[in-house]
Amino acid sequence: MFGTLYGAAARGILGGPLTLLSSVIVYSGALQFAMVALLGVGTAALPLLLTALVLNLRHLVLGAALRSRFESGPLGRAGLAFFLVDETFGFAIAAGNAVEPAAVGRTTERTLLVAGLTLYVAWLAGTLVGVLGGGLTAVERAAGAIFPVLFIGLAATRRSHVIRALAAAVLTALVAWLLPGLRMLAPVVAGVLVALPGRER
Amino acid sequence: MSPPLLLAIALITYGSRAATVVLLPRPGPRFETVLSRIPAAIFAGLATATLLGEGGTLAGLPILGAAAGALVATPARSLLLCLVGGAIGYAVGALGG
Repeated sequence: MFGTLYGAAARGILGGPLTLLSSVIVYSGALQFAMVALLGVGTAALPLLLTALVLNLRHLVLGAALRSRFESGPLGRAGLAFFLVDETFGFAIAAGNAVEPAAVGRTTERTLLVAGLTLYVAWLAGTLVGVLGGGLTAVERAAGAIFPVLFIGLAATRRSHVIRALAAAVLTALVAWLLPGLRMLAPVVAGVLVALPGRER
Repeated sequence: MSPPLLLAIALITYGSRAATVVLLPRPGPRFETVLSRIPAAIFAGLATATLLGEGGTLAGLPILGAAAGALVATPARSLLLCLVGGAIGYAVGALGG
């Protein structure tokens, strides 16, 4: 669905081949939508690269949180890293939380791979449909509800972290309101800040 | 946009994903405790960010209804029930909007 929206939005700016190539090698919805929006208003290369750097900073934190659960060697982790996006991170963490400690590593890695491949194929297929002229006007508004619902559900799976989750939500809203340019980075900043204090597990 | 610029953006993106996953040694217990607290907080933050538009404006009534429906279902600690709650909330919000 989002891939189709991206393909339809990007084809007039990037052209069909580059739009498809961007989904194949970047595979990041937030960054690709931001990239197209910036190109649409004539942004130069350097600001585009800086935007990519800033929007991708959250991967450092997500990757560090997953690293403690991984058991594969460097090569296996390098392959899995390509599939690290917000949604696959959520599915992998939730799957790891649901199994015995001895199975956390294997389950987390397998879930990241399966969810990552599934979303990657869907993202590519959606982009192709959008480039070819498909549209999803009827469901476009409903699409906006998927992510908040998904993230609320993922945040709620661990009872012990509810207070920190609420604090992060409030802090994110404050950062997004006071510093609108950092809206995409606000969840990670808030998540790290509320995770630091306290000794209890 | 030129293909080399697109390639540079792809390399930045993959590099950010691989940096900690590949290069970071397995963290110690204290760092691991802090890391274990991060996901739920980030998800809550992401949910909040997706409800806010440019300039801090709130999303439309159906989307807020979906979020409210998911929140109502959170005591069940079930992703599936949150999705069902979100769908019901969206439908109620769409009727109201």
